[in-house]
Amino acid sequence: MLEVKNLNSGYGFLQVLWDVSLKITEGEFIALVGPNGAGKSTTLKTIAGLITPKGGDIIFKGETITGTPANLTSRMGISFVSESLNLFTNMSIYENLLLGAYIIEDKQEQLDTIDFVFGLFPRLKARRNQLAGTLSGGERKMLAIARGIMSKPSLLMVDEPSLGLAPKLTLDVFDALETLRQGGMTILLVEQNVNTTLHITDRGYVLEQGQMILEGPSKELLENDHVKKAFLGI
Amino acid sequence: MKEEVLLKEPFLVVLKRWVTSAGGITILLAVAAAIAAAIDAGPFILVNTIVTGGMWALLSLGLSLVFGVMNIPNFAHGEFFLIGSLTAYFAFNPIRLYLKDNPSPFLSAIAPFLGIFLAFLVGALLGVILEKLIFSPLRKRSRDQWVMNSFLLTVGISVVIINNVQLIWGANFKGIPSYWDVEPLDFFGVNLSVDRLAAFLLAVATLIVFWYFMRRTQTGRAVRAVAQDETGALLVGINLNSILSLTMALSAGLAAMAGASLLFIFPAYPTAGLKPLYVAWYVVILVGLGNVSAAVIGGFIVALLQTLTSFYIGTGWEDVIPTAVIIIMLIFKPSGLFGSEVKGVHEK
Repeated sequence: MLEVKNLNSGYGFLQVLWDVSLKITEGEFIALVGPNGAGKSTTLKTIAGLITPKGGDIIFKGETITGTPANLTSRMGISFVSESLNLFTNMSIYENLLLGAYIIEDKQEQLDTIDFVFGLFPRLKARRNQLAGTLSGGERKMLAIARGIMSKPSLLMVDEPSLGLAPKLTLDVFDALETLRQGGMTILLVEQNVNTTLHITDRGYVLEQGQMILEGPSKELLENDHVKKAFLGI
Repeated sequence: MKEEVLLKEPFLVVLKRWVTSAGGITILLAVAAAIAAAIDAGPFILVNTIVTGGMWALLSLGLSLVFGVMNIPNFAHGEFFLIGSLTAYFAFNPIRLYLKDNPSPFLSAIAPFLGIFLAFLVGALLGVILEKLIFSPLRKRSRDQWVMNSFLLTVGISVVIINNVQLIWGANFKGIPSYWDVEPLDFFGVNLSVDRLAAFLLAVATLIVFWYFMRRTQTGRAVRAVAQDETGALLVGINLNSILSLTMALSAGLAAMAGASLLFIFPAYPTAGLKPLYVAWYVVILVGLGNVSAAVIGGFIVALLQTLTSFYIGTGWEDVIPTAVIIIMLIFKPSGLFGSEVKGVHEK
């Protein structure tokens, strides 16, 4: 479904990614892990179209989307939940969700998706008229993910959902992702919380210093010596 | 914040907080002053305030919108007003002369609206042209120092438009005695011309439509979304370029509409836009940059200040008093009376 070939990307003169490649087939739950500053977020931002790559190819559903701006990739079915969330803070939860369905024209379909999303995150339903800027950290994450799936994407990319969250809330967020994946959504998850992530995903990629150094089924990665030493501390 | 407060706290607590906030105090003081002046001097104070206030609201709304969404401090906003009054003049005057020889009640009733609507369209078109021709290329090239650069550009645009208007149509006043040639209405003992009444009703109708558009339609939400988080807007699939063009078109269109509606008070001439520009900036600075809904309230407050000043002190002081009020206000509330939705303007 998504194929990234020899991607080179970065900010201005600073190159962050060096020949990064990855491949995702439909329905997979993929983890992209790595230490701080490895280029995980940059990878997602480049796929989403927020950054124009310096080289390489991104192929989504058979179409080359290298350098396509973010408002068009989201129309093609790629949804990106960024680390900074980019919520509309002066709008209510409900309005944020409606905007999440911006590319869906059918009003009834929008409302149905909102119902589905509220089922997934009941906390949001209880606070539907509250301004996004007044939500707690965990609720913001939930809202960002909820807004991300409002466009009914075929690929959901989530950047660091556990960052700054209490363990209990992290589990809630992971549970929600698990539910989505069971519903058939393809998910690319970027995480620093390597242990939990590799336990719930199918396959994983390990990115270090802008280069893909390992890939394989998550279970094997958990057993891998390098992963154990570098990320799990065993 | 507001919504949560409404959910959890009793009405009286909310009311007390509102009344003791800077915005609440100002609104109450303004209403009290307006009522006192109306009792003292006569209800015409209220009528004048409301009529000009509606138009100032339209003007400042557009200015505030463009600053909030595009971060452009637009000093060419007055020229949209000028283009509006010019358009209305050239559209309406021939009809007016024609009607002198061929009276037609129907045409004379609707012709002003035609002129005003045409002014809105021409203004909006000018807005889109400026966005596509000037701001969009600059945005693509560099967003460093955006506020300063776009400010300088708007000043340049203003100079170019003023001089071109003078070059093409000359420096003489182009005005009309009135849109509707009928007897003024008696409104609580005040002579209220139909033109003024129509200008006010038009402003109110436009404000309601605008409010509905911004709050209840998906496109309006997209405009607000761009103002609040540009990246977020891109991520949900909003086409930034079309929203920015739309914003500029709306802003320019509303200003042109104000210019057209007030043609019977402010005739069109090359520098006709300067006074409206200053007034719009008074309003926007007073209520807080980029705060669109407060700009409407601000429009009426500034209109009240001007009306009171010109009646009690003298017309020459009309600009002095509002400026003095703003200077004093800025010392105590630097971000405007109602705070601002655009807190991170300089961080963007």
